[in-house]
Amino acid sequence: MNIDNAAFRDFRESLEHLGSDTPSEILSGEEQVRRAKQTFMDKLDGPMAVDLTTCVHCGMCAEACHYYEATQDEKYAPVRKFEPLRRFYRRELSPMRWLFRPFIRDVTAQDLEAWQELVYDACTGCGRCDMMCPMGVRLSPLINVMRQGLASAGLVPAELRALQIEQRDNDTVFGVGAGKLREVIDRLKQQGIEVPLDKSRAEVLILTTAVEVLLFSAALSATAKIMNRLDADWTISSQGFEAANLGLLSGDEATQRQAAARIVEQAKTCGAKTVILPESGHAYQAMRWEGANELGEALPFEVLAISEFIARELDAGRLPLSTATNGSSVTYHDPCRLGRHSGVIEQPRQVLKALGMEFREADSNGRENYCCGGGCAEYVIKRSAPLRQKAFEIKKREFDETGADVVVTSCANCRINLMIGAENGGWQTPIESLVERVAASLTE
Amino acid sequence: MTLLDFARGPALQWSLIILVVGVMWRFTGTILLGRKEDLSKPRRNTEIRDGLATIFRRSLPEHQFEKKIRFQHAAGYTWHLALFIAVLFSAPHILFFESVLGFGWPHLPNGIILVTAAIALALLLALLIRRLSHPVQRLISNADDYISVVIVIIPLVTGILASAHIGARYETLLAIHFLSVEALFVWFPFGKLMHTALTFPARFRAGAEFGRRGVKA
Amino acid sequence: MRNDQTLGDYLLAQGVSRRGFLKFCSATASLMALPPSAVGQVAEALAAARRPSVIWLSFQECTGCTESLTRSHAPTVESLIFDAISLDYHHTLQAASGEGAEAARIAAMQESAGEYLLVVDGAIPLGNPAYSCIAGVSNLEMLKETAANAAAVIAVGTCAAFGGIPHASPNPTGAVAVSDIITDKPIINVSGCPPIPVVITGVLAHYLIFGTIPELDALGRPAAFFGQNIHDRCYRRPFYERGQFAHTFDDEGARKGWCLYELGCKGPTTYNACATLKWNEGTSYPIGSGHGCLGCSEPDFWDKGGFYRPIAAGLWGSHEALLGAAAAGAAIGVGSALAARARKKKALAEEETAS
Repeated sequence: MNIDNAAFRDFRESLEHLGSDTPSEILSGEEQVRRAKQTFMDKLDGPMAVDLTTCVHCGMCAEACHYYEATQDEKYAPVRKFEPLRRFYRRELSPMRWLFRPFIRDVTAQDLEAWQELVYDACTGCGRCDMMCPMGVRLSPLINVMRQGLASAGLVPAELRALQIEQRDNDTVFGVGAGKLREVIDRLKQQGIEVPLDKSRAEVLILTTAVEVLLFSAALSATAKIMNRLDADWTISSQGFEAANLGLLSGDEATQRQAAARIVEQAKTCGAKTVILPESGHAYQAMRWEGANELGEALPFEVLAISEFIARELDAGRLPLSTATNGSSVTYHDPCRLGRHSGVIEQPRQVLKALGMEFREADSNGRENYCCGGGCAEYVIKRSAPLRQKAFEIKKREFDETGADVVVTSCANCRINLMIGAENGGWQTPIESLVERVAASLTE
Repeated sequence: MTLLDFARGPALQWSLIILVVGVMWRFTGTILLGRKEDLSKPRRNTEIRDGLATIFRRSLPEHQFEKKIRFQHAAGYTWHLALFIAVLFSAPHILFFESVLGFGWPHLPNGIILVTAAIALALLLALLIRRLSHPVQRLISNADDYISVVIVIIPLVTGILASAHIGARYETLLAIHFLSVEALFVWFPFGKLMHTALTFPARFRAGAEFGRRGVKA
Repeated sequence: MRNDQTLGDYLLAQGVSRRGFLKFCSATASLMALPPSAVGQVAEALAAARRPSVIWLSFQECTGCTESLTRSHAPTVESLIFDAISLDYHHTLQAASGEGAEAARIAAMQESAGEYLLVVDGAIPLGNPAYSCIAGVSNLEMLKETAANAAAVIAVGTCAAFGGIPHASPNPTGAVAVSDIITDKPIINVSGCPPIPVVITGVLAHYLIFGTIPELDALGRPAAFFGQNIHDRCYRRPFYERGQFAHTFDDEGARKGWCLYELGCKGPTTYNACATLKWNEGTSYPIGSGHGCLGCSEPDFWDKGGFYRPIAAGLWGSHEALLGAAAAGAAIGVGSALAARARKKKALAEEETAS
């Protein structure tokens, strides 16, 4: 349950230097625009066209966005975040484009550069605005297309770009490759926890992520304990263990596809029927919903989040838990991409209640929860720190209002971001992992 | 040809034709841009029900959202409802619809229509003031937004004046009212008034997409 | 034939008492919205007035205007005024006919040159002079010839004032109003199909009293009689306000005397004195009899979509045209979407060849 404070400090230290020596792609303004438009042209589809046209500029989306709520700065209104895309659509693909063109400004390089902050610093793709819009517009897919356009134009913020390039070139994130994985697995073995690495055949392929390896190895160890307790036929592949998808987070689609393909290849190699994602929102989304579409074929295996898997095992009575150590009250933070975007909402609650903890809902929970404010790797963007800290105040207030002793979440990045906010804001309530709590309550 | 003859005749003819051509053009051209098949495995196969449910449910936001948008939400739906009542249940309007569609329906008393029209007008003006003064709306609003609201306000004003016989000779008031509605017809396909048609496929798709992932939208 | 007898002497000779004459002058004064103090002036002027020569030309007309004017069940002072003028030419009322009648017209034109009143009823066909001739002379010729030396022209009835029934679509004879032909004389349009009798004589009385034409509205009609619409003076107005309408001619609303708006009443857009002066010496008017106003004092009242088409209804509503428009719109929309899809495909292909 405890994390290594030294490790956390080191991690935050390394974030300070992230992206400082990343080569940036120097493209001319015209080339930036050309590439961005190319991406827009490819990605815009019928539902997006409907959404772009039916928006009535009511501005209610701003009232759903934690960045707007935290700052009351109208520039963070979600609808504005894809304004260049809207203009592109009207000029190039809308049914009355020939009539509209003279009246609509073209997309410029200045637009793209100005929008970088709005789309990366001030948006996590949390989708709260999707739920609010009275017209039924889904803004997060549109903002994602903006990201993809900016990525094509070489306009990803340096820190995020550094991670994306690392994954593209080395298949690693934060320098965590097969070597680091083996180190952690050896450490766990010494603690008596077996992690079957690189089995040639297995029913279940477990994934982990760099942040777990570096900071939250207790979560990895907990996962292993649970899988072993279930006597599951499982493995981790040293060639494809990284669940994080920096292509999805940066908007670089080639990297997104590459990262997904690596996992699918390993799953196919060991014949896994089930792939289990670690505690991460975007990683689940990347595989469960986007994986098949990126690779152009249905996935040959079932995809589950670890909390989903645990709930299923609890339902089947295969995972007896002790409620002895769990008298404290708990509230749950829904990772946006796991909850609102993916439907894993009831399962974590079911699990926490099965642990015997006194469960208290925050005011905004489930599909209405507030984003942690920086989980989807946004916390690596240094200049967004003040903005993220303001957004954290919203979460802090809601958590405090529950009066819960502990905040549990099921996403490593949400966890880091909340911990950063807590540390900066002097907030004491512990922020814990669901999987770790479960493992600690396993009966013999 | 008097102004009223023009308004009831050629102006009506061409504005209706532009309305119908334009709406069909823009609606089909927007929704038919194409959609790639989603190869991920859905949690459930209730796409149509999820889509239809969201069409209704989106008008009733959850408390966490609703408490942030109370004024706009209440004012917005109220003025729409008031406008529909005034448009669809005023006796002269029903006579107009009958002349175009071939059938009519019962009307509401004039007093009620006048009150609902006044409510719609007052709320529209209040929302216009909000659009001009609230930082978010002021930033995101463009010419389309302002034209669209004014082009709805004007028929309300001219209709109230014609119905109450205020401001000019009746035939002039009636002609101006007809022409103001015809201006709305002509503008309709090209501006954001198209949301009247497009919000349905938008809400449907939101319901379907979130529904397949097991989330109520 | 012009007579040097004054109007006062003439009336006295007819047995009209001084009292009766003064009553008529009060009524006339109030009819023309003059203050009570003007009654004396009216009496003096009328008593001393010379009987003017009046030439009445009838063109494309039905004689309804004359019928309206002369249909009295009892002699009225209005009809006496009518009698008081020297009606030197009128097809229906004159005794003479043929060459004799035309000679009387020419004689009156010469004797009262510059002073006679020209009254016209009926429209004038411009399509072919043969459509309407009198004694071999086309209406157009006769009008121009007779108007040349008239003091003023009174166009009686909607046909003379605006073209009326002959002018109705498709206007096969090319019928036009008096004012379309005569542009250099003062013209008073006394419209109506037919006009209310007292309106005609009221205009004559005004001319007799003041020697001038009365204040006219934008359509050249005496404002005193055509200044308000039927709707504002209609006794069924409260039902309009409350929204109680007759839907058919024999339903509950019709029997209860509710508003006739839905049955095509043109009251709101028709300016005339029917609702106040009424017809048949104040007996009733169309709405009072349960039929909507036809709008007969307005130009083109035949071409407003029909007597039973409500004012609120449009004048156009072709289902075929609208369905065709929908199909055309959908076709363009589908085409534009297909073109957009092709653009996307092309861009993707270009990108793939480039990379």
